[in-house]
Amino acid sequence: MDPLSEEQIGKLLRLKKYEQPPPAYFENFLHEFHRRQRDELLKEPVWRIALQRTQDFLFRLNIPGVASYPALATALVICAAVISLKVYQTPETVNVAAQNRSPVVATTTLPDSNWSLSNPVTTRDLGPSLVRTVKDSSKTHRVAAPPRYVLDSTPVSYEAAFRF
Amino acid sequence: MRQRSGSNLELALADRRISNRRVFSPAVLATGLALCAAFVRADEAAPPTAPAQLPESSTTSISREVKEIFEKSGKAVVKIRGTDEHGDLSGTGFFIDPTGMIYTAFSVGGDTDNLTVEFDGKTYPARLMMADLRSGIAILKADIASPALPIGKSETMEVATPVMAIGYPLDLPSTPSFGMVAGFDRKFLDRYFCTTHVRVNLPTQRGEAGAPLLNFKGEVVGILVAQIENGSACYALPIDAAEKIRNDFIRFGEARHGWIGINVAQAPKPIDGSTAEMTEIMKDTPAYGSGIKPGDILLQVGKTQVHQPEDVIDASFFLTAGDDVPITVMRGNEKMVFEVKADCHPLSPCAPKAATLTPAQGIPLQIDATRRTP
Repeated sequence: MDPLSEEQIGKLLRLKKYEQPPPAYFENFLHEFHRRQRDELLKEPVWRIALQRTQDFLFRLNIPGVASYPALATALVICAAVISLKVYQTPETVNVAAQNRSPVVATTTLPDSNWSLSNPVTTRDLGPSLVRTVKDSSKTHRVAAPPRYVLDSTPVSYEAAFRF
Repeated sequence: MRQRSGSNLELALADRRISNRRVFSPAVLATGLALCAAFVRADEAAPPTAPAQLPESSTTSISREVKEIFEKSGKAVVKIRGTDEHGDLSGTGFFIDPTGMIYTAFSVGGDTDNLTVEFDGKTYPARLMMADLRSGIAILKADIASPALPIGKSETMEVATPVMAIGYPLDLPSTPSFGMVAGFDRKFLDRYFCTTHVRVNLPTQRGEAGAPLLNFKGEVVGILVAQIENGSACYALPIDAAEKIRNDFIRFGEARHGWIGINVAQAPKPIDGSTAEMTEIMKDTPAYGSGIKPGDILLQVGKTQVHQPEDVIDASFFLTAGDDVPITVMRGNEKMVFEVKADCHPLSPCAPKAATLTPAQGIPLQIDATRRTP
């Protein structure tokens, strides 16, 4: 396509001068602009987009100013603390779980008579040592049925007529 | 000269004394009177040297008296537990003699098994000595040495007499309540009591049936038998009525309500101050053949004067089977007295089995199950 001469461009501009966009053109202009911009971006590979974003982020962060020695030391200490907490907590949880599990393991040594093949889950007998015992002191909140506290709303008898 | 001058001086002095006397005597007198008047006024107006003791307020006095009676009498009030057909129950009672005799309400001990009383922090077994459905009381006995409440006279009460009760509401400890006599009723909601009951404006709660009603001398003047209006007031059987039943028990081992066999209705006009006209002399009763006739105006039964048919209720309650009862009537213009031996009330334990009233004649002496404590 040949480049237009100045005279052609001028003629074209004079023609375009009287062209008017449709009424909804300016209302939707910004939205359409962003859409087209995103379309253009997505045409590039993902890694390039990520690289550009990272470069923009680092550029705004001003790395040389932030990366001073105290900031670096603080960041290292925080990281170390977080990691150590995670490291020391995890084994303890495991130990507790193992302790809780030990009685259940012991039940596997119960004689076979405690097991039923017909319904091994529901009829399993955990043996007397594992039966929950309710202490007497824990019964205090289970009050026996209260007695009937007596006071009637009328006397127990009445007279029907004036006779004696 | 000296003498003259001296005499002149003396004269001058004498004149001056005289003039001074003349001048000063009224002034002195006036001053003295004024001082006396001022002193008297000051004496009148001056506050007493020792401050007068303030009178004790009435509320403080009532509170003190209630507290004293509660502390003194509360030891003789017991909680009663037992079992009836509906399950376990709890009520109140009180000792009336040192051998452990207890008054309570029929609804607490009248038809109850496994009776126990809680006294002085301990639980003792008790047994039913007698129960009277008509009066609504029961007498229990616990074999212990016990304090006893003095028995007063319920006839001394009048409207607005201050009274108090001591009971065991719900599962709470011994509790005093204070109130006053509101009235003396023969009926409540169109139902006639067995005798006049004392209506007391005294708050009550469930569990206080059988509690003693005490006057401010600490004497028992009634037994709580029913509450009305959700416990804002209550009815008490007068202690005179309860004592009648106890006397029967002492004499005969049971309650012996008397029976004459006369029906009474309202006369059209009063005769000799009474409007109680005898309308029926029942067959096979002490009144039958005694000479009393229908149409006679009833004036007196025993010691109880009759002015209206309702008075028969009290007269009837205090009859005792086996006693001779003078019955005064007015027949025409003639006052007549008949001596009648009271028989056992047809629904009393002493009545022979055959002597029962027909349904039309019967007194519905029964437990009103619908009105029992829930």
